[in-house]
Amino acid sequence: MTEGASTAGHSNGSRGFVRRVLYPVAVIVAIVAVVWWLESRDSGGSSPITGEEYGVRPLPEALAAATGGKVAAEEGALAPDFLLEAVGGGETRLSDFRGQPVILNFWATWCRPCRKEMPQLVAAYDRYREEGLVVVGLNLQEGRAVIEPFADEYGIEFPLLIDRDGEVGDEYRLLGLPTTFFIDGEGVIQSIYTGPLEDEVEGTAVQGAIGETELDRRIEEILGDG
Amino acid sequence: MATDKTLSEGAPRPAGWSRTVNLINPLRAVWWLFTNVRFAIVLLAVLALVSLLGVVIPQVPSAMRGNSLAEDAWLSTKDDDFGALTDPMDAVGLFDVFHQGWFELLLAVTVASTGAYIISRFPGVWAAITKPRKRVPDRYFDLAPHRVRSETAVSPERLAAVLGSKRYRVEQMAEGDSVYIFADRFQWAQLGSLLTHAAVIVFILAAVVSRVDAFSSPLFLAENGTLPVFPVKNAEQMQVELADAYAEFAPNGQPLDYRADLIIYKRGDEVMRCSSTVNTPCKYDGYRFYQVAYFGYGAEVVVRDMATGNVVYRETLPLAERSPSPHIEVRDGDRLLLDETVLLTDNVDTTDGAYRAGLVRMEDGRALTLWQPEDGGELLVFEPSTGGEAIQVTLAEGESAESAGLTVAYTDTVDVPALLVEDFPLPEEAGSGAAGAAILQMNNVVYGNERISDGDGAVYAPPEGPPSLTLVGVDAQPVTLEPGDSAEVGGLEYTFEGSREFSGIDVRRDRSDILVWIGALCIVIGLMITFWVPRRRLWARISLRRDESGVMPALALAGQAPTHANFTRELADIARKAGANVNGMEDDD
Repeated sequence: MTEGASTAGHSNGSRGFVRRVLYPVAVIVAIVAVVWWLESRDSGGSSPITGEEYGVRPLPEALAAATGGKVAAEEGALAPDFLLEAVGGGETRLSDFRGQPVILNFWATWCRPCRKEMPQLVAAYDRYREEGLVVVGLNLQEGRAVIEPFADEYGIEFPLLIDRDGEVGDEYRLLGLPTTFFIDGEGVIQSIYTGPLEDEVEGTAVQGAIGETELDRRIEEILGDG
Repeated sequence: MATDKTLSEGAPRPAGWSRTVNLINPLRAVWWLFTNVRFAIVLLAVLALVSLLGVVIPQVPSAMRGNSLAEDAWLSTKDDDFGALTDPMDAVGLFDVFHQGWFELLLAVTVASTGAYIISRFPGVWAAITKPRKRVPDRYFDLAPHRVRSETAVSPERLAAVLGSKRYRVEQMAEGDSVYIFADRFQWAQLGSLLTHAAVIVFILAAVVSRVDAFSSPLFLAENGTLPVFPVKNAEQMQVELADAYAEFAPNGQPLDYRADLIIYKRGDEVMRCSSTVNTPCKYDGYRFYQVAYFGYGAEVVVRDMATGNVVYRETLPLAERSPSPHIEVRDGDRLLLDETVLLTDNVDTTDGAYRAGLVRMEDGRALTLWQPEDGGELLVFEPSTGGEAIQVTLAEGESAESAGLTVAYTDTVDVPALLVEDFPLPEEAGSGAAGAAILQMNNVVYGNERISDGDGAVYAPPEGPPSLTLVGVDAQPVTLEPGDSAEVGGLEYTFEGSREFSGIDVRRDRSDILVWIGALCIVIGLMITFWVPRRRLWARISLRRDESGVMPALALAGQAPTHANFTRELADIARKAGANVNGMEDDD
């Protein structure tokens, strides 16, 4: 009788343990697993060199002195830093270009105004590269298979990066494509160009391309400061 | 749908002022209203009526909704149909029924009413299932809608056995000289009705989810072109490439087949290749890619800067405009010297008016000039050369005439696909800077059959030769190119890659689908349970003595069943099988 009671007590204790400990732990583990899976699914990949996640990265403190260290995607602030995979291989960090004026152009192959202004960017890079100008083409959420033939055809020699999950686009508060940031040698955004919205034409939020004269004027602005 | 027990005759009522307070209590009044069956019927009738109006009366196309100019333009087209009623109908929202606030309010009240009904009924139904009344007063055997009596004595055990064989759950109770039996089966089937009502809520919930969460993105894609599903960027961003558009029409213009071969990319990687049609969309990751439109006149043009070798322009342009162009035949006896649609690419202003003009060369090398007034009309056909006999005739469409020994016929006017491109790359010497206006016209192409467009006709007789693209404005003279041909003008190389087709692809996601299926399942299962599960409940009294009036029957059966069941007959059958002699049946049905 005592043995039976003991067995029953042990059985009840086991059930209680399962109900109070194992079940909640299993549920929490399942939730964490789902969240982890969703997060890893949304990740823009990571650097095979440093293991850092591609996307927006904190600006190194040594570079954050200008403008009181304010980092934001707005004129007069330091351009948010990022690390992204490059189309031709390797990876590029925006802050690596500190000391050089940078044109940061957000684009995609499907965006007609982007295609229209790309020859201008190519020509501007050819004209001003000797003066230290860097053009960074930041493709939004497309793949190498689409970008590489485009780059070959248009003769693009400046770095093309891929923002696979759109995180950098989010950080730079993109409302449409193309959008171009003109960043001086101190890493400060001198101007931002967004053309008039043309969504009724393309069915997507695309904006007009920058004009050649306007492009030159803004380049001179960042070259002068740089 | 429901009755209010709290205000029914049988319910206790508070007396005096407190009763009045209860009646005017707004929450109580709303509860009464929402559980009132007449209100529910009126609600559903109104909902059905306005939904019918929303189907019968033309509704503002979704693409125009929210654009007041577009809506006004669309509304003006309805004046012919609705006359003076157009404005009043618009004012009350009859041209956009399903997006009106009052329609949403109607749905909300229907949900609330149905929910209130379920909540009010559930406790009663649950109690009836789990705690049934097992002993009824003797009077019930005289009043029940389904009842049977017999003077024959039956054994309670035999009756219980008969009921058991019919899958009844049986309980016996002895009281004095009588034995009472309670039996029921499939009582859970009472939930079927609630399930059917719950389906109404699920359907309306599905409509709400669809309204709030549904996503639709129309894409107009050229062959080899790519567009994103979401404008600019999105965590679920995908790109759709149209690998091939296919359309086939019968000779009378009836579409026979539409298809779009798609490649879907996500996060830069190709994730699917599929064919999409109107009814069988591609499906990927909860999104459906429907083929919804087709356009057959597109031209892929590439412009290259010869100095750098770089492409400066690559577009597939939809030639959505039409350029009326005369089709001319010139014969020398039986010999056909010209059979061609001539593009009128030049504008000529004279004192007689403005003309569109074109030049064409006949098989023998002689050139013909064609002039036609800008607003159409007679065609002037003449040879610019002088000396000897020169052709010079004026022809209306369908006419032919003899001139210079040749027969010249203006057989018909062909609408040639064309497009004015405002920012086409032009040579510097064109005087418009790096870009300016150019007109593109594509000749010799048949709409709606890619095999013909590709020079591989099967359904129609294909036109002679491949399509040709004429560029007007890039050089002093129009430049005409066949697929693959290039022409260099002022340091730019223009290439006509070929004719291309367009497909309209509608990308949709509607997570309410699952709710619609759940709702449909609820209705079907609820109705099946209600109509086909034979829910029964009966009480039996087996008397071992007669009462004072001497008419106490030996066996009395009374029961409840859904209204569509002939339960009285079933009761008689049960009584007979139990050994009772049932001569007559009482049935209040």
